[in-house]
Amino acid sequence: MDKLININGQNFPIDVDNDMPLLWFLRDRLEQTGTKFGCGGGFCGACTVQVDGVATRSCVTPVGILAGKNITTIEGLSENGDHPLQKAWLDNNVPQCGYCQAGQIMNAASLLKENPKPSGDEIDSAMQGNICRCGTYQRIKKAISQAADELAREVS
Amino acid sequence: MTINLNFNKKSEKSAKIENLSRRSFLKTAGLATGGLVIGIAIPTQTMAHGKKIEQAAFNPNAFIHIQENGDTLIYCGRCEMGQGISTALPAAVADELEADWSRVTVKQGDADEKYGPQATGGSASIRRMFIPMREAGAAAKLMLIAAAAKVWNIPAEQCIAKNHFVINSNNQQKLSYGELASLAANITVPEKPALKAKSEYNYIGKALPRHDQGEVVVGKRIYGVDTKIPGLKYAAITHCPVFGGKLKSVEKSAALAMKGVSAVVEIPRFDVPYGSIGGVAVVADNNWTAQQALKKLKIEWDLGENQSYDTQAYKAQLVKNVESPAQVATERGDLTAAFASAKQKHSATYTGGHLSHSPMEPNASVVYVEKDKCEVWAATQAPAAIQDVLSKYLKREPKDIIVHVTMAGGAFGRKFKCDYVHEAAVISEKTGSPIQLTWSREEDMRTGYYHSISAQHIEASLDNNGNVSGWLHRIAFPPIDSLFNPATDRPSKGDVSAADDYPFGLANYRSEIGEAKAHTRIGWYRAVYAIFYGFSFSSMADELAYKAGKDPLIFLNNLYDANEIVEQKEQVKRSKNILALAAEKSGYHQRANLPKGQGIGLAIHYSFQSYVAMAVRVESDGDNIKVLQVDCVIDCGQVLNKDGATAQMEGAVVMGMSLALSTEVTFRNGAVVNSNFHNYPVMRISDMPHVNVHIVESDIKPTGLGEPGVAPFAPALANAVFAASGKRYRDLPFKPMTV
Repeated sequence: MDKLININGQNFPIDVDNDMPLLWFLRDRLEQTGTKFGCGGGFCGACTVQVDGVATRSCVTPVGILAGKNITTIEGLSENGDHPLQKAWLDNNVPQCGYCQAGQIMNAASLLKENPKPSGDEIDSAMQGNICRCGTYQRIKKAISQAADELAREVS
Repeated sequence: MTINLNFNKKSEKSAKIENLSRRSFLKTAGLATGGLVIGIAIPTQTMAHGKKIEQAAFNPNAFIHIQENGDTLIYCGRCEMGQGISTALPAAVADELEADWSRVTVKQGDADEKYGPQATGGSASIRRMFIPMREAGAAAKLMLIAAAAKVWNIPAEQCIAKNHFVINSNNQQKLSYGELASLAANITVPEKPALKAKSEYNYIGKALPRHDQGEVVVGKRIYGVDTKIPGLKYAAITHCPVFGGKLKSVEKSAALAMKGVSAVVEIPRFDVPYGSIGGVAVVADNNWTAQQALKKLKIEWDLGENQSYDTQAYKAQLVKNVESPAQVATERGDLTAAFASAKQKHSATYTGGHLSHSPMEPNASVVYVEKDKCEVWAATQAPAAIQDVLSKYLKREPKDIIVHVTMAGGAFGRKFKCDYVHEAAVISEKTGSPIQLTWSREEDMRTGYYHSISAQHIEASLDNNGNVSGWLHRIAFPPIDSLFNPATDRPSKGDVSAADDYPFGLANYRSEIGEAKAHTRIGWYRAVYAIFYGFSFSSMADELAYKAGKDPLIFLNNLYDANEIVEQKEQVKRSKNILALAAEKSGYHQRANLPKGQGIGLAIHYSFQSYVAMAVRVESDGDNIKVLQVDCVIDCGQVLNKDGATAQMEGAVVMGMSLALSTEVTFRNGAVVNSNFHNYPVMRISDMPHVNVHIVESDIKPTGLGEPGVAPFAPALANAVFAASGKRYRDLPFKPMTV
C-alpha cells in the first residue's frame, strides 16, 4: 500500500516515483497549483511550503521522504484567507504579478512561528532566499512587521 | 517596450463607442448577453513588427457589460503581467460610470481582433486608452440615466447617477443599475459624452487596491503555467545552445524507455519572428518525468555560424567601434568649431551587457491542436502574434486560433515573444494530445531573447563658462530589428533617435552609429534602449559637472536652460521640475552634512513620454556599495492609480539595481554560461533600500509607468558612488559575477 502524506489536513497516497519533488506531486498529481515553479534548484523560493511547520523548498524535496509528514501550502495556510500575513499582504498591496507571493508568504509564516517579533535584519536574513522580480521587497518587509504586530496583539 | 516610437508622434484619433446589447457577435466573442453592453473601439495604428492593422467598421478594444443583477463586467483587452493595467483602466471606466467598484469584475479578454490590437508594451496602455475608456463609462452612465428618466417620465437633468444607482432628485427615489440595464440597452449611445472634472473622481488618482490580490494571497490566481485541461500531457524542452544551430541527431531510446514517457518530438527551427529556434521535447505524464527523460536524450547539435560568440570579446570590439569614427546619423550646429574653441574636453565610454528578463513564471503554455480547432492558454503580451505564428505554422486562419490570455507571472518583454506557444503547438500537433510545455529556468536563461549588449562613446566640450558647447555621441548595439531582418548589422537612425532627441537639445551635436551584428536573439526588455541611453546621458552630465567644477544639479539645469528647441520646451520644464523635487526630497542640498563615505547621485530620464528623476544615496568606499535610500520623482501627467504608480517605481528601482550592480548574461563559445539564479544574481530583499516615490500633481494627459522608472536608477547610483568615493563606474553591471 502507498505511504500517505498529509497536505493541508487531508491524507493522500504517495503514488508516484519517490524521487518526484513535492512541487510536482502538488502541481501535476494533485493539481494544486498555488505552489509555484520558479527555478527547480532551490534558488528562488517560489515553491516554498511548510513541512511540519518548517519552510521547505518543495522543488528540491523528494515526496518519498515526506511520508507521514504534514504539509501546509498556501491553499491551507488559513481557512478563510485571513492569516495575519495574508491580511497584511492585502493591506500593503504587496503583489504585482503575484507569482512569487505564495512562497514569500509561506516562508514568512514559518519565520513568524520561530521568531514572532523579527527585526528588519532578521526579516532580511529569513527572506533572503525568496526572489521577487517585480520588486515588492519593501512592501513584503512592511507586511511581515505588520503581521507580527497583529500576532502579538492576538497573543496578549 | 517600444514597438514603433513614431506612433507616439501621430495624432491620436478619438474612440468610437457603440451599444452592442443586441449584437449577435457578442456570442462569438464569448460574452453573455442580457443587460447593457457597451463596446469601445480605440484606434490603434500599430502592432508587432510595424504591421498596420486596418480597422473594420467597429472593433471594440474593451467592453462594459452591466448585467441584470447589477454585477458589472469590464473586459480588458490589454494583457496583465503585474503592471496593474487590469485595475487602472477598469477603475477609470467605473469612475465615469459612477459604478460601485465592489460590484465590478475585471475580465481578461481572449485574443480577438474584435478587441483591436492587444499587444501590450511600450508603456502605452494608459496613454492610449485613458480617455476612450472613460468615454465609454460616461456613455453607459448617460444611457442608464436616460432609461431612469423614461421610467419616471422626468427630464434626464433631474436624475443623478451615484454608486450603481440612478436617483430621482425630486423625490430621492432610486433605481439600481441592474434594474435599468436592459432598458438602457434600448437607448441611443450619446456622442462625445462629457467627462468628469478631476475634483469629481471617485477612483481615478486614488490608491485603489489591485482587483485580483485576494486571489493571489490564497494561491488561487491562475497563471499560464497553472492551466489544467482534461487529458493534459506535460512536455519539457531543450534547445540548441547556440542561436542559429540545428539538430544533428538525437538518441531517444533511453528516454522513451522511461515509465510515463509517451513521445520525443523534434521541433525544427521555424523561421518567423517568435517561432521556435529549434529543439527537442519529451512528452510525459507529468513535468518531473518529462524533465528526467530529457536528460537521457543524447543530442548532437550542429552549432552553426554563431558558435564563436563571446561577449567579452564582442564588447571589446563594440568599444573599438565607438572609439573610432563611425557612420554619421545626425548632425546639428558646428561640432568641429565647438571642439576647436573648447576650454576643456572630456570623453568617456559606457558599456552594458546582455540581460535576461527572467520573470518568476517561466515560459509555459497549454496548446491543443485538433483537426478543426486550435486552443491556446498562455501568459502572453501579444495574443495576436500567437495567432499569427500558429496560423502560419498550422496553415489556418488566425481567427481559428483561440487564445485564452492568462495572468502572466511577470513578463518584462519576454512574453511578447511566444516561441514557447509555437513549440507547444508543434508537440500537440505531432502527438494529438493537449500539451503543457514548461521551459526550465535554465532553458529560459540560456536560449531566450536578450536585452542588447551595448557600447557608447561620448566626447564633449566645455566653453569658458563651464557649459557644454559640443557633444559627439557614438553608439553601437545589436538592435531588435535583427530579429526581423537578419542582415541588420547596426542600429538604425530610429534606434538612436532617443539620443538625437535627448531634451538637452545639444546645439553642436553629432551622433554616429557603430557596427554591431547580432549573434543571439535580441528582444525588448523592460525600458529597452532607455536603459543604456539613460545611463550614458546622466553619467556623462555628472562627469562634466565635476570637470567644470559645478554642482551637478546646477549643471543639469544649465544644460536644460541652453535648450533652444521649441518642441522640447515642455520637456525642459517638466524635467527641471522633477530634478528640483528629487534634490529637495532626498536632502541633496544638505549633502555636505552626510557621514563620510556617503554620497547622493542624481539622474533623470524621459522615456515612453513619462519623466522620472532619481536621487540615490549610498554608502561606498568605491568597491563596496550599499544603497541606502532612493527618492524617485515621477511626472506622468494625471495618475490613474497612485498605489500602482508607486509600486511600478519601487519595482523599477529593484530591476534597475539588479542590472546596475550584478546581472549580465555571458556568452562563451556561442552559448550562454549563466544557468539559474545562483549565477544570474538578481536583487534580493536584503539589498532593498528605502524607496520614496513622489508623484507630481498634474492635469496633463496621463502616460505610462511600466518602464520609465528603470532607466534613471543605474546612472543615479553611479553618480552617488562617485560622490561618495571618487570612483566612477561606466560599465553595467558594476560588479559582474564571474561565471
